[in-house]
Amino acid sequence: MSIEVRNVTKRFGDFVALEDVSVSLPTGQLTALLGPSGGGKSTLLRIIAGLDTADEGTVTIEGTEATNLPARKRNVGFVFQHYAVFKHMTVAKNVAFGLEIRKKPKDEVAARVDELLRLVHLQQFSHRLPSQLSGGQRQRMALARALAVEPKVLLLDEPFGALDAKVRKELREWLRRLHDEVHVTTVFVTHDQEEAMEVSDEIVVINEGRVEQIGSPDDLYDKPANDFVMGFLGEVTRVNGEAVRPHDVDISTAPVLAGAAQGTISRVLRVGFEVRVTVLTDGGEEVTVQLTKAHANALGLHEDQTVWVSPNPGAVPAMSRAV
Amino acid sequence: MLWFSLLVLIPLAAVVVKAGGGGWETFVDAVTNRQTFAALRLTVLTSVGVTALNMVMGTIIAWVLVRDRFPGKAILDLVIDIPFALPTIVAGLVLLSLYGPNSPVGVHASNTRVAVFLAIAFVTLPFIVRTVQPVLEEMERDFEEAAASLGASRLTTFRRITLPTLAPAIFAGAALSFARGISEYGSLVLLSGNLPYRTEVTSVRMLSYLEGGDTASAAAVATILLVVALLAIVTLDVIQRRVARRG
Amino acid sequence: MASQTVEATRTRDPHPRSTARGPHEDSPAVKWVMRVLVVAYLFFLVAWPTSLVAKNTFANGFQGISDALSDPDVVHALKLSAIVAVAAVLINLVFGVGMALLLVRFDFPGKRVLNALIDVPLSVSPVVVGLALVLVYNGRYGWFGPWLEDQGLQVVFAKPGMIMATAFVALPLVIREVVPVLEDMGDDQEQAARSLGANAWQTFWRITLPGIKWAIVYGVVLCLARSLGEFGAVKVVAGNVGGESTTAPMLVQQKYQNFQQETAYSVSFMLAFAAVLCLIVVALLRPKEGDKK
Repeated sequence: MSIEVRNVTKRFGDFVALEDVSVSLPTGQLTALLGPSGGGKSTLLRIIAGLDTADEGTVTIEGTEATNLPARKRNVGFVFQHYAVFKHMTVAKNVAFGLEIRKKPKDEVAARVDELLRLVHLQQFSHRLPSQLSGGQRQRMALARALAVEPKVLLLDEPFGALDAKVRKELREWLRRLHDEVHVTTVFVTHDQEEAMEVSDEIVVINEGRVEQIGSPDDLYDKPANDFVMGFLGEVTRVNGEAVRPHDVDISTAPVLAGAAQGTISRVLRVGFEVRVTVLTDGGEEVTVQLTKAHANALGLHEDQTVWVSPNPGAVPAMSRAV
Repeated sequence: MLWFSLLVLIPLAAVVVKAGGGGWETFVDAVTNRQTFAALRLTVLTSVGVTALNMVMGTIIAWVLVRDRFPGKAILDLVIDIPFALPTIVAGLVLLSLYGPNSPVGVHASNTRVAVFLAIAFVTLPFIVRTVQPVLEEMERDFEEAAASLGASRLTTFRRITLPTLAPAIFAGAALSFARGISEYGSLVLLSGNLPYRTEVTSVRMLSYLEGGDTASAAAVATILLVVALLAIVTLDVIQRRVARRG
Repeated sequence: MASQTVEATRTRDPHPRSTARGPHEDSPAVKWVMRVLVVAYLFFLVAWPTSLVAKNTFANGFQGISDALSDPDVVHALKLSAIVAVAAVLINLVFGVGMALLLVRFDFPGKRVLNALIDVPLSVSPVVVGLALVLVYNGRYGWFGPWLEDQGLQVVFAKPGMIMATAFVALPLVIREVVPVLEDMGDDQEQAARSLGANAWQTFWRITLPGIKWAIVYGVVLCLARSLGEFGAVKVVAGNVGGESTTAPMLVQQKYQNFQQETAYSVSFMLAFAAVLCLIVVALLRPKEGDKK
């Protein structure tokens, strides 16, 4: 195990940010800490980095007891949401900072900086100041800076949170490729479930200071441990009292399915290739159904139409399965 | 921390201790001394007057500096800071050259209470301007425009929207200005003539106690000055809250 | 005072926004009245009197200045003022930056009180400052004075006392310049440096200091202007021991009262010139910072 967090509790005054949290993260993996804002995930990351200290509990990094080690001695790379670039230094100087602190010989530093700037595709910007870079470029520079010291683990705190949607998506894919290339144990914090599912090997869902579930993206999506995880990882609707994802609801224009609920379509909304249909059942439920445009057209769905909805038998309702 | 204590806190405490150490009697004696009382009254009343003037003029100056544009405004901005940077003794001399015996405009105000007023107005000029200016700059015009679009007249907008927003800054500046006013010394030495009962201010009075070797009385007066400054700051803070809430 | 940047760009703006603004813009009459009022007020209160000092100084060309500079008292006083001011500025530089860091980056009980107390020197009478220092540090009956004197250090009626008085009065200037910049900067950069292995000292030198460099420069310049001109506090602490401990502002008073007005004006002019120069330096430096951001 690369990072072992045991029974960590952290309070800020009366507010409990983390309550008895234990997580172990294997070497070489890319792990996402996922959860709503204020849930404690950033605090956990900062405790791993040594930027905050836990009130109780221990942190071990690569077998080294690190609970009381200051940040500068933990050899972790940390990337901040708002980049935390050194404004008065050039891009190359920023990246070289950690190496210079370690008093590495000049030519070695230069070579390493060059290599890293190449890795993050910023080699032509080495003499610019950070203020001359875009947000995405700054964050790539911050990443190169963190990687320069060859950290045992790389920690990213909402690394793409301050970027616009398009750049965010690009950087997300790029981070995944980078990780496959560099293979350093990486933990990143995000509140965006799509980002977590797309990039990570494993997801730790944290809410209100507690770990809700740990597992692969597929595990979490298909076998959520509780209502919270299910709701946080994707949309949820209820049919006959069962929680189901909207794309796992079968809809038909005739009562062919046993146990299907009868209802009336109140709204049909087309979003690109998908169609969202809202059905008011006679039982008083409001069911959201998600289907492809082709499927919707084939059924000829329209408002005020009477339809029957039921959970897809292939999709096991989340709560019935133990995890 | 230690340095701050050695330099500021302990010495100031010493003043209060000294004032108290002389016993209640020295205190009462010093304060009821007619000449001292006259000096205190002159200082406080003049400072109140100057502060009131500054609250109006300072706000107007800040307004002009932020909202108006005309050539030479940068110079105006610089002029505001002159009283702050100028040595106080030089400030006295400066005013003396225009309003003193050799005045080119024939005003002869030296050795009068007008001179005291002028000197205090001079040295306290920057305070309100410099506290109001940044607030006015950051204040969104949208605010006022929204009020105007809702049908408020210019005057109403100013009274109901602009003034309450600026109030904290104006009163914070006023507190500084008043505290500075009652403690002014250097600029008055040459200008006011320091005539007992007429133009002698508290600081001058303290110094003459000191020169006469009566440190206890000097400390007593100093303590009163500190208390008055404190009271003024608290009072202005209270008024400020009221004004801000009424908006 | 960061306004100056904004002002400069606004004045240069070829298309003032006011022309496009709607009917609720201040009426021209009100604007003119305010403008004239402000200019007149500042002219009569500050600009004209200040310029008269220059006029009086140069009434006989450079004679006045050169006469003054050949007076050994004047030279001595100017030197003493410079020494005291530089020493006070250095002290305030070190402690000002230290206290600003303390106030912004650390939490401790009594922080709010300390924050309020920082401004005290701005609102205490210089005479009270002098008195306070005399009470604590004088050699005969002060709290610490006798002990210090036993150690061979005379504070009051000597240079250390004058430096302390000056440092006291100018103390808030560096702190008040540095604190907002530190707050604005946040501590991300410092945390990043620590996560990259920098210790506290390296973080300060390589990251914090370059970030607050300009604020320190302004603080120091303002502090210098104030220190050169401090009169009341220094006068009380220096005592009336004659020429030895006379600073330039004290000399102005003496010369004026001895009817050597020309010398008084000349020294005043030099002091005023230094002060205005400091202001201009600050005004010119400020826009630079704006560009860098």
